[in-house]
Amino acid sequence: MKTFEQKWTAWLDGQLSGKELVNFEASLPDKAAAEAERRAAKKLGALLKEQLGAQALTNEEFFSHQLRERIGRETASQDRHGGRSTWWTVRRLAWSGAASLAAFVICAVFVLRDRNPGEQSQYLTQILNARVDPAVSPNATISMFETKEDKVTVLWVEGLQSLPADYAAK
Amino acid sequence: MRNCAFVVTALLALAISPVDSTNAADIVWSGLVMAENVPQPAPIPAELTRIEETLKELFGYNQFQVIGQSRKTLKTGEEDWLASSKYFALHVDARGETETGYVLNLKLFKERELLLETDTKLNKRSPLVIKGPQVGGGQLLLVLVVQ
Repeated sequence: MKTFEQKWTAWLDGQLSGKELVNFEASLPDKAAAEAERRAAKKLGALLKEQLGAQALTNEEFFSHQLRERIGRETASQDRHGGRSTWWTVRRLAWSGAASLAAFVICAVFVLRDRNPGEQSQYLTQILNARVDPAVSPNATISMFETKEDKVTVLWVEGLQSLPADYAAK
Repeated sequence: MRNCAFVVTALLALAISPVDSTNAADIVWSGLVMAENVPQPAPIPAELTRIEETLKELFGYNQFQVIGQSRKTLKTGEEDWLASSKYFALHVDARGETETGYVLNLKLFKERELLLETDTKLNKRSPLVIKGPQVGGGQLLLVLVVQ
């Protein structure tokens, strides 16, 4: 069961209908005054709606403005920060490149010193020449090689005259 | 930044500069070594310890004994000396320094007879081993090491 207040509110909002509307309007002591009050309420409602809508629009613009400002500030800040960072990066890149190149040259020099394919390394003993007396050892042959493990250079002479064990004396 | 450049420059200079500049006071050990196979091999002489495995692998003997030796300190790089045993003599004639060692002329004599002659650039990091004549059941080796 609705109270009068509830019915009044519903009537103002135009939500009563049918028998309920007829009964409520019949119960009004001064229908003309009630109609005037309803018109005034609608007018007030429209006004409020309009004002609230305008206010909402203002807030929207305000926040939009705030956001744009903030985005602008952050973009500018990022640009400034980003510019400096890029400059440092390029500089560091240049130095890193130079340091890497120097390290490469150092390593290359050391590697090339230790390994020089095609010719005897300067870190190995080199046999410049070798000869035996052909009259004493006519069948002698000479060869030379290096051992990788302990860098021993070997002059290998085959065919020298064999000698008795007595020659091993100190 | 200056420090960084200095370090890089120093490293480059270190890399380019000769690492093995010859020390004028190097000692050259030259030895006449008899390699033999015996049931109870004697310990290898200290001078040959570094190349013991190579000697054993190359020549197939289990004992290496020094029958004559010389330890010469080179000051000018022009010295000459003799390492000799009863029958053999190794004459070494230093003919100057190189960047990493010495130029040597070597002559192996059996008594007064020249068996072998060679010119070498002896490197201080690289020993020289010369296979000499067969002696009895063993082998004569000539070894030169910069110590």
